[in-house]
Amino acid sequence: MFATRVLRQAAQHAERTPSIKFLGKRTIPVSIDHTPRPHPASPTNSLPASFTNGSAHTSFSAYRDHAQQFGPLRKTIRADAGIGGNAGAALGSVAPPAGVYFDRNDLPARFHRVPLTADEIEAIETGGAAAWA
Amino acid sequence: MLSTRLLGRTAVRSAFKPSGSSPIVLASRWSRTYATQSEEKDLVIIGGGVAGYVAAIKAGQEGLKVACIEKRGTLGGTCLNVGCIPSKSLLNNSHLYHQILHDSKHRGIEVGEVKLNLQQLMKAKETSVTGLTKGVEFLLKKNGVEYIKGTGSFQDEHTVKVELNDGGETTVTGKNILIATGSEVTPFPGLTIDEKTVISSTGAIALEKVPEKLLVIGGGIIGLEMASVWSRLGSKVTVVEYLDQIGGPGMDTEVAKGIQKILKKQGIAFKTGTKVVSGDKTGDEVKVQVEAAKGGKEETLDAEVVLVAIGRRPYTGGLGLENIGLETDERGRVIIDSEYRTKIPHIRCVGDATFGPMLAHKAEEEAVAVVEYIKKGYGHVNYGCIPSVMYTFPEVAWVGQSEQDLKKNNIPYRIGTFPFSANSRAKTNLDTEGFVKILADPETDRLLGIHIIGPNAGEMIAEGTLALEYGASSEDVARTCHAHPTLSEAFKEAAMATHAKAIHF
Repeated sequence: MFATRVLRQAAQHAERTPSIKFLGKRTIPVSIDHTPRPHPASPTNSLPASFTNGSAHTSFSAYRDHAQQFGPLRKTIRADAGIGGNAGAALGSVAPPAGVYFDRNDLPARFHRVPLTADEIEAIETGGAAAWA
Repeated sequence: MLSTRLLGRTAVRSAFKPSGSSPIVLASRWSRTYATQSEEKDLVIIGGGVAGYVAAIKAGQEGLKVACIEKRGTLGGTCLNVGCIPSKSLLNNSHLYHQILHDSKHRGIEVGEVKLNLQQLMKAKETSVTGLTKGVEFLLKKNGVEYIKGTGSFQDEHTVKVELNDGGETTVTGKNILIATGSEVTPFPGLTIDEKTVISSTGAIALEKVPEKLLVIGGGIIGLEMASVWSRLGSKVTVVEYLDQIGGPGMDTEVAKGIQKILKKQGIAFKTGTKVVSGDKTGDEVKVQVEAAKGGKEETLDAEVVLVAIGRRPYTGGLGLENIGLETDERGRVIIDSEYRTKIPHIRCVGDATFGPMLAHKAEEEAVAVVEYIKKGYGHVNYGCIPSVMYTFPEVAWVGQSEQDLKKNNIPYRIGTFPFSANSRAKTNLDTEGFVKILADPETDRLLGIHIIGPNAGEMIAEGTLALEYGASSEDVARTCHAHPTLSEAFKEAAMATHAKAIHF
């Protein structure tokens, strides 16, 4: 009956949705920002300057934490795997952080552009004709 | 272009790898760069208390190479050795004694002469403590943790020097170091703790005879639990509290007033809003001068034993923090960030030695989280959802915000309460004192705080903590079926009273 259908629909809408919901399969965060932030229980809700500014590099360990060289330096080389024992992909992204750019000239010489010879320059300028002259 | 070029990095590097050399050869070459030949640990933990041993077990489970340094000679720290565990043994057994003595006849149980054997009571306490500390030692062994008995101090950022309890000295190096040195009793100026007549919580669990008169300075959780124990065993107990309410920080004012009334009925005298001016120990008696906190007439209280229970302070003495330039705040807490890192990122700190409430279960949560941060890069502790329990009778427990917190922060709230006098199980048990009080957002009905005085409140608060952690509404709790007849029905009914109306009240 129509009335029954209406009542059933109304009952469906009125059904309570609990606040506690199952969110589904657990996911592990892929990238996490590890920039020091105040501890949630810190009474001042702030960090001393030594946690955040550049002068924190008072120790080698503090320097390593911030240093970059073809990606972050702070990668632990596992003693059992040794240097080169891990796949490159496992070492994480080599992309520079936002706002930081690598200069090709900072890279080792093997990554630099190969210098053009005078003959090559001449060939380019003459549209290739010089190469056959 | 550049990124395409850089992707070839692995190939380029492998071209430089000496042919035929195994990873093992490279590993030994790598280890030569360290100053010491001893095996470097992934994690060195200074302190084998609740924070330290839990972190050690968790790290062992995660496959890290771990060393745990503890100077006490037994694991478990203050909690297991001289805190939560022994005090719970005394609280439970003194309650039984008191109940047999005063609360059995009208229940239809007539007993003959009831005698207290304090020595046996203490022995029962020690049996519990020994069993648990030994159990922890077994768990460390099971999870491959190296347990070093000695006093650890920083030699440098990666090296901890250990003065061994059995004599001699060793060093242990770690990629990560965790400070979990806990806390110690805050002394009271002018009263030297001798653990005989002027005692701390440590002395209060080991008195050799029941004092005739016990004066407790500090009406917080520790003070009130110890006041309960000795009052039940026959002492005349007076509690002096500087603030106008007992229970310490965080306890809801209505709850504090309620439990004070109940404890007063049990024979404990209270002097709230009262300041201790000075103390004088002469012979077997201690005289303590007190006056109203806001100023007023002085009064002298005398006692056979004085318990100093004004709080605890972080313990980092002898740790050599100065050797590595680590700072503490004005209260002596190690300064850390949200991932428990000090300013030297591989040195972290958890538990009583740093921020947050000094609670064993908070330290445990942090211990698990810190290992997860080290191993996986993320962890979880919700500081807004840490329960507190006072193990008096009836127990007091709470989680989340109190009414005064909400008022202070101008957060609107709705209250629902349910008394245990209307709960069937409490009535059959003849333990009807107390109530459940729930605070929820008036618009969304989301739980904001739960406060309980009542039998087994410490167990019941787990339901409230879970609901709060999940962001439940009071209706969610109210619509969850609770078994009958149980004390937990009072919790459900309080939730019903918050969003609608309770059935049985």
